[in-house]
Amino acid sequence: MLEIISGGLHTTVQDMGRQGGQSLGIPPSGAQDGFALRIANLLVGNAGGGPLVIRNDAGAAGLEITMAGLKVRAQSDLLVAITGADMRATCDGKPAPRWQAFVLRGGQNLAFGMAASGARAYLAVHGGVDVPLYLGSRATHVRGNFGGFKGRVLADGDILPIGPATAKGAALAGRRLRPELTPAYSGKQRIRVVRGPEAHLFKPESETKFYAAPWRLNPKSDRTGMRFIGPELSFRPGRPRYLIEQAGKDPSNIVIDPGAPVGTIQVPSGVEPIVLGVDAPTIGGYARIGIVISTDMSIIGQLQPLQYACFVRTSHDDAVAALKRQEKLISELSVIAL
Amino acid sequence: MIYDKPLFRTLADTALNIEFGDEVSIPLNFKILALDSAIAAHPPKGLLETNPQVRSLGIVYNPLVTTRGNLIAALGELIGALDNTATVASRRMIIPALYDDPWSRECAAAFGVRNNMEYIAEFNDMTPRQVIETHTACDYWVTGVGFVPGAFMSYAMDPGKRIGAPLYRTPRTWTPARLLNFGGTTSTIYPLRVPGGGQLFGRTPLNIFEPGQNNAVFHDSPVLAKAGDRHRYVAISRDQYNDIRAQVEAGTYDYQITEGLFDCADYIAWLESLGEPADHRDPDSSWSLE
Repeated sequence: MLEIISGGLHTTVQDMGRQGGQSLGIPPSGAQDGFALRIANLLVGNAGGGPLVIRNDAGAAGLEITMAGLKVRAQSDLLVAITGADMRATCDGKPAPRWQAFVLRGGQNLAFGMAASGARAYLAVHGGVDVPLYLGSRATHVRGNFGGFKGRVLADGDILPIGPATAKGAALAGRRLRPELTPAYSGKQRIRVVRGPEAHLFKPESETKFYAAPWRLNPKSDRTGMRFIGPELSFRPGRPRYLIEQAGKDPSNIVIDPGAPVGTIQVPSGVEPIVLGVDAPTIGGYARIGIVISTDMSIIGQLQPLQYACFVRTSHDDAVAALKRQEKLISELSVIAL
Repeated sequence: MIYDKPLFRTLADTALNIEFGDEVSIPLNFKILALDSAIAAHPPKGLLETNPQVRSLGIVYNPLVTTRGNLIAALGELIGALDNTATVASRRMIIPALYDDPWSRECAAAFGVRNNMEYIAEFNDMTPRQVIETHTACDYWVTGVGFVPGAFMSYAMDPGKRIGAPLYRTPRTWTPARLLNFGGTTSTIYPLRVPGGGQLFGRTPLNIFEPGQNNAVFHDSPVLAKAGDRHRYVAISRDQYNDIRAQVEAGTYDYQITEGLFDCADYIAWLESLGEPADHRDPDSSWSLE
């Protein structure tokens, strides 16, 4: 069992999310940075699950810790790993390792400070956080009030059940990710984008601007949508009359349509592009200038408020190649055992 | 307009849209529901999920198992084999609603805009009373389910009674659960407290999403609506609202749903008799296709 001493700013139970919810309006949820959670699970010997949205299994559940403040106490010896954002975690006051499995002794406290780089840290526990499955996943969808621990953000005093340990568990302590594979979260980030179905509705110079401009993450962003502050984008004239009647005068309104994938970029009225996160609506009514490729949703999930990012146009084939490279990385070949 | 051939739109590496047109058209939606049924009967390799909506079918697929090219070829074969849809499965459901309710007014005020019902009335050259009469005067066809868990898109089946209003320019950060709203001519209900840009005009006491699945109607799924359903709204008083809401919260409310088949051909013939164009092509615009 893992006792929550302080829930911090926004901590939830997440795995690699639900499937089959698109036609019900149910988003995948799951880790916003799937790479980090899957590596954490790999290090502690849990099922890592597959890539978000297309995963064959949801993998073990861990904790997604946003920006700051989680404090937990182990009620018995637990093999854990911390990945993702650097929140200067300490184990009974001493620095805790990142991207490495270690034993948290019964009675020891693990405390996370403010994120020095990145926005979301992940805590995996050998055996996994053992909350009930809801529609095939343990992921929390806070707005829907389902999944995870009682469908909500973790609060002080919660006691999380941990799944049974396997015999090999103790031998995994010290396993760590190859240091060259550790992502760097500071500085201006590059986010790769495939052109969207309504990109041609923007003026060509606006589409150019979208890829050239520096953007900053709006602090109001969350797992539903990441908003970006930057230049205003404008739309081509000549909108047909039937569309004005059906979808309204604003040129960014389209007849409502599946925004299906996480990563869809909508630009309501040309102001503040919104990248749909893992808890986002399954459909949208605004022009989609592009779609963030699936692997780069991990990068977006680690942007701090007001951090700079740029959008880089890429092809569908390169997006698939990036996914294949990532899947090769999330394997024992990337782990250094002691 | 309705495209001569469906377009396959790439949505990065794990999704596609099959787009049949760019407009709101219930006959167009019949084709999408027919294709969705065909896919369910013969799912192509690597296809994980479908998402039927008013003018397009969303596809989620695994590019580690198939390629976009192979998937499009398989879907193209299914589209080629589609018959003209004669009937589709369609349930009819009664939805009681308290129109021009206090929660919609409060929410509008909280975001610094006037009562949305007044705006909707003005936008449609009607009084608020006429908006209510029009919204309760014909069935609404559910073209797809989505946005947030349990939300759905629906359109007045009588084109003469199709009213609406544009979405907010900047979406709200929250809306109370179960509010009726328009986004364009789309009529829908927020199932949960969520952000959104729809113009608010009423509240239903019914749960359209029930994660705890307490009522028998939610036995198989926490979501009430299905693509292809018909909804009929009924205006109720505040007392009736309170009464029904208490039954819904107790899990005892008897949702009024009739199962059935809908005759698409009859409906299309009726639309034609009204002189309703099947396709809104605009010769002066090259706006929607690229």
